[in-house]
Amino acid sequence: MTHMTTDIQLNLEDADGFYEQLLDAHLDLSDKESALLNAKLILVMANAIGNSAALARCLAAAKA
Amino acid sequence: MSNNNSNYTNPAYSNGYEFSGGAGYELPTYPFVTPPELLGAPPTIYPVVIVGGGMSGLTLAAGLAQLGVPAVILDEDNTVGVKGASSRGICYTQKSLEVFDKLGIFERIKAKGVEWHIGRTFAGNDEVYNFNLRDRADFKLSSQPPFINIQQFYIEGYLVERIAQLGVVDMRWQSRVSACTSNGDSVNLQIDTPEGNYQLNAAYVVDCTGTGTPFHKWCNMPVSSIKRDDRWCIADVRFKVQPPTERHTWIEAPFNDNRAVWQHLMADEVWRIDYQMRPDDDPAYVSREDVLRERLAKQFGAQAECDIVWVGPYSYRSQLVERMNAERVFFMGDTAKVVSPFGARGGNTGISDADNLAWKIAAVHHNRAPAALLNSYHQERHEAASVNVQVTARTTRYLRPNDGAERLFRDATIALAKQHSFARALVNTGRMAEANPYTRSGCCTYNHPLVGRSVQNVAFTWCNGQAAHLNDLLRWANGNLLLLWFGDLPTTSAGKLRNTARISGVHMVQVVGKVQQTSAVEAVHDATGALAAACGAQQWALIRPDSYLAATGQTANAQLIKAIATALALP
Repeated sequence: MTHMTTDIQLNLEDADGFYEQLLDAHLDLSDKESALLNAKLILVMANAIGNSAALARCLAAAKA
Repeated sequence: MSNNNSNYTNPAYSNGYEFSGGAGYELPTYPFVTPPELLGAPPTIYPVVIVGGGMSGLTLAAGLAQLGVPAVILDEDNTVGVKGASSRGICYTQKSLEVFDKLGIFERIKAKGVEWHIGRTFAGNDEVYNFNLRDRADFKLSSQPPFINIQQFYIEGYLVERIAQLGVVDMRWQSRVSACTSNGDSVNLQIDTPEGNYQLNAAYVVDCTGTGTPFHKWCNMPVSSIKRDDRWCIADVRFKVQPPTERHTWIEAPFNDNRAVWQHLMADEVWRIDYQMRPDDDPAYVSREDVLRERLAKQFGAQAECDIVWVGPYSYRSQLVERMNAERVFFMGDTAKVVSPFGARGGNTGISDADNLAWKIAAVHHNRAPAALLNSYHQERHEAASVNVQVTARTTRYLRPNDGAERLFRDATIALAKQHSFARALVNTGRMAEANPYTRSGCCTYNHPLVGRSVQNVAFTWCNGQAAHLNDLLRWANGNLLLLWFGDLPTTSAGKLRNTARISGVHMVQVVGKVQQTSAVEAVHDATGALAAACGAQQWALIRPDSYLAATGQTANAQLIKAIATALALP
C-alpha cells in the first residue's frame, strides 16, 4: 500500500494494553462525561499527531 | 462556505442600525458645494469617481490625492459615520496604521486612540488564558503598534481633512448615485443632489457604498451570501469608574446566560461591549435602554454608573462578490465582501483594498502601466476577501456552535485550554486581521517565500543619521516601484540598474550596513539588518507602493528587469 494509508497500518506498541486503558478511563463516567473525555482525548491526540495530511487521513478512515 | 447565488437579489438584510439608540456621538458636518456640472461646465471624463465616503472610499481618495490623481468622491450624507449609528469599526491593525502613516494621519490616530496589550479570555467564572501583545516579536519590526482601538468616524474625519489639505480630489457631499451605465471606455453616473441632478463620466468607478450597494445589480455582479442566526447587541458605554484597560472576552458569560461577551476600550474612554443574544431575541427589545442597563448591571454591578453613548443590535452575514470588478467598476470594502466582525477583518480589509488599488490606478492614470495592471486588484484582493470570509466563518462556528458535537468539542477546548497551552490555539474568539498574502498574483515573481507579502514599516537611518522608515522611501518613490539594493553595488551593475530605473520609473536606493562609499543615487543605513531581513535577505528587493514585496533576487540581471515588467503588468 502507498504512503496514503501508512497512518492507518498497525502502529500501536501494545494494542490490548491501550484498549484496556481507554476502557478504564471511561469507568464510572456518565454518557455525558464519557463524551467529553473522548472529545478531549481526540484533541490531545490530534495535537500529538500534528501533521495536517495525517489528520485528514485519520478523519477519512474513521468516517469510511 | 456554501454558496447561494440567487440570494443577492433579495437582500432583506438589516444590520439593525434602525433600532440604534443612546445619546450618540457628535459628528462633523460638511457643506454641499455646487459642482461645476450644475454651473454649466462642459462635460468631462474624470479619471476616477469613488462612490461612498466610508473607510475604504476615503482611504482610496486620500491615496489617489497623494499620488496626484484628480478623482471625485461622492457621499450621499453630509458627515462621516452613519447618523445615529456612527460607532461601527473600532480596531485598526498594524497594516492599516502603516497605510495611515503613509497617508499622513497616523499621529492623529495615535493621539486619539487607545492601545492595549493584555487580553483575557473567560469561560464561566474561570479565566481560560491571557496574553500580552508586548510579548509578540512579530509586531515589533514596524514603527506602528499591533493595533489601535478608535471609533471609525474619527479616522474617517481625519481622512476628510487630509483629502481637503492635499487639494487634488474633489469631495462632494449629499450626492447620491441613482443610476450607472457602462459605455465601453467610460462609465456614466446619474447624481442626485439637493440642488438638482447631473451626470458624471469616469474612466473608472470604485463602488465603496457598503453592504446595501445598488452597483451589484447595476453591474449584474453575482454575490454569494450566507445569513446567520447569530445576533448581538452592541453597546458603547462611558463609565464613571473605568474598568481595567484590558480586552476581556467571555466565550460563556455567566451574566449573559452563558453566551459570549466582548469588552474593549476605545477613544474618549468609551467602552464597546458586545453581547451575544439568543437568535430569537427581538432586536428592538434587546436594544431598549432599560434592558441594556439591566444587562450592564449584571456584568458590572448595580452600582456601576455609566452613560450609554450608542446601542444597536447586529446580525451577521457573510457575503462575497464573484469578481472584484465588473469591467470599469471596482468593488471595495463592504461592497466586495461582508464578514462578521471577529478579528476586525471588515474595515481593515477595506483599507487594504484601497491601498492596493490606489497606486495601480495612479500608475495607469500617469501612463506608467497599462490598464492590465488593474486585473491584479481582483487576483490579489479577491484572494484576501475569500480568506477573510473563511476565517471569520470559522470563528462564528466556534462562538455559536450547533448543539451536539460542535458544542461538545468547544467544551473540550475550553477544558483543555485551562491546563494546556496547545489547546489555546483551538479557542477561536477571532483571528486578528493581517496583511493578507497574495499567493497567485500575476504581478508578483514568486522566487522567495516573502514575495506577495507586505513588508512592515521597518526603521533605518538616512545617511545623515536621522531616523526613517520604509514609508518615507515609499512616499519618496511617489507611486513608483521601490528597488532596494543591499550592500555593495558593482560599478558595472550600477550603470545598468540606473538605466533600468530611469526607463521604468523605479526608484532605487542602496541599503548599506555602515557608512561607506556608495555608488547609488540614494543610500540609506540599515545598521541592524532589519530592513534586509524584512525583505528576505537577498541582494535586491522590489517593493510596491502598497509595501508588498513584488520580487527579490541575487543579481542585477534579466530576471530583475522582467520582475519590474511583471510588477507593472508591462507587455
